[in-house]
Amino acid sequence: MRLIWEELKAAVPLIFHGNPYLLSIIWFTIEVALVATLVAAVIGLPIGLAIGLGRFRGRRMLQVLANASLGLPPVLAGLFLFLLFVPQGPLGAYHLVLSRKAVFIAQTVLALPYIVALTAAAVQGLPSGLLIQARALGANRGQLWTLALREARIGVMAAVIAALGSALSEVGAIVIVGGNIYGYNQTLASAALFEANAAHYADAVAIGIVLIGLILVLMGGLTLLQQRGGGIRLRFRPAA
Amino acid sequence: MNETPSDHRVLLRGEHVTVRRGDREVVRDVSLELRAGELVALLGPNGAGKSTLLDALGGIVEPECGRIERHGRATIALQAPDLARRSVLVNVTLALAWWGVPAPARAARAREALRTMGAEHLAERPAATLSGGERRRVHIARAIAVRPDILMLDEPFAGLDAEVRASLLEDAVSVLRSDTRATLVVVHDRAEAWALADRLIILIDGELVAAGPPRELLERPPSPVVARFLGFDGSLQEGDEILLTRPPHVRLDADGPVRAQVTRAVPLEDGVRLELELQHGRLYTVAPLPAPRPGEVVRLRVDGGVRFPAATASDVGASSGDGRPGG
Repeated sequence: MRLIWEELKAAVPLIFHGNPYLLSIIWFTIEVALVATLVAAVIGLPIGLAIGLGRFRGRRMLQVLANASLGLPPVLAGLFLFLLFVPQGPLGAYHLVLSRKAVFIAQTVLALPYIVALTAAAVQGLPSGLLIQARALGANRGQLWTLALREARIGVMAAVIAALGSALSEVGAIVIVGGNIYGYNQTLASAALFEANAAHYADAVAIGIVLIGLILVLMGGLTLLQQRGGGIRLRFRPAA
Repeated sequence: MNETPSDHRVLLRGEHVTVRRGDREVVRDVSLELRAGELVALLGPNGAGKSTLLDALGGIVEPECGRIERHGRATIALQAPDLARRSVLVNVTLALAWWGVPAPARAARAREALRTMGAEHLAERPAATLSGGERRRVHIARAIAVRPDILMLDEPFAGLDAEVRASLLEDAVSVLRSDTRATLVVVHDRAEAWALADRLIILIDGELVAAGPPRELLERPPSPVVARFLGFDGSLQEGDEILLTRPPHVRLDADGPVRAQVTRAVPLEDGVRLELELQHGRLYTVAPLPAPRPGEVVRLRVDGGVRFPAATASDVGASSGDGRPGG
């Protein structure tokens, strides 16, 4: 307990020191998290909607795959991407291994299942009559999907929040594909791992505190957006 | 009762329509047509296939076989009045957007439809805060706002209490009638059908068993099964025939020619519904208070009812029978 307290005391001044290294990884982390979540949303929302609302052969299998990929170990995803990116791999020509781009791609791949699986579940929970009625009133596919996304917005925002959380915190994949190169392609999470491995515990704790702060700010903003005007409010009273 | 405008053009025609839900044939070989200006009620017991037939006619489900021709645009107001979690006005304007109404015209048309259904005061309310009756009004307003050529409504009064139902029915009677539109309303309650429709279509067990003006069907039901469905709950064997009666056909009368024993008495709002056991049948009537009690012997008179050959009446699934007025 005393060790933790000592490391925390040593970490706090490091946060407010204005260290350019720390600032650079904060910005890179924000950039990676936002871009990965955005790209995952652009790719994943239509897939989630198609799985959730579509009636096509193989839909159930896709849903099983999407749900199963929520449990995909990041290290395995990183290893698979690494094998794709190495010079001998199918994408070797793009020189992605150990690059910053590889970090973006890895975090997007890890965020995607959250968007797909949770969006599909959210829109499946809508009253079927709402969408059938919209179709009976002439809504085309785009209008139906827009309606479904809006009506299931609490669940869809939960998908985005989960994806952003993954993009902020996952470290296994980016360490493998990016190499965790000091000051180049480190996120806060991978930098904390780097410092911990080097036995710089105060630095690791300082980075960890910044990461938690960043998570609270970004998730708090999204949660406010998610809860705006939606949901049921129940007031619980103790039983008489 | 209004006359069927037979000179009006056919807007919807179904020929030998059969619809399956999974392994079950829910609608079997139904043929019907709707003309412009007509207001038709589709009536049948629970599970008769009414909603499925409506879904097929509206294009929501594909029929297994048969042909459906629509001359004009059709829409259905489904049974569940599911509204988006937006304001009432936005719900109606969304429907207009889906229908393809240009943006500048939407708000005025939406407000007009809401006004027609007595729901204009709800325009700015979030849909989630509406009562059951209010939701139904908005639901119908949404379907009317798009001005379809063929309008189909699936049990628009379902799940409402008697007072709200009566008020909505009153408004709907005039709103649903249009010279240019064909309207088909699925109803569960016979009283709603009488109040609304020019013509009734009766569906039992997936088959169209009767069609015609309500009064005509009530006076001359084409088969015992239709008569039973239309409330002919009493039956009296008379030789080779069976007389089916509704409660108004049976009247307690001290000088009446028929003797019966009261076997059950169920209090109603304005009297008592009596079950009367006779030597060759059982009749029902509604008597004013004070009414005889179970066990008492009464005399009665039968005025009206319909007669069928006894063989057809014993088989409730029979669709023939050549009913003729009795009494």
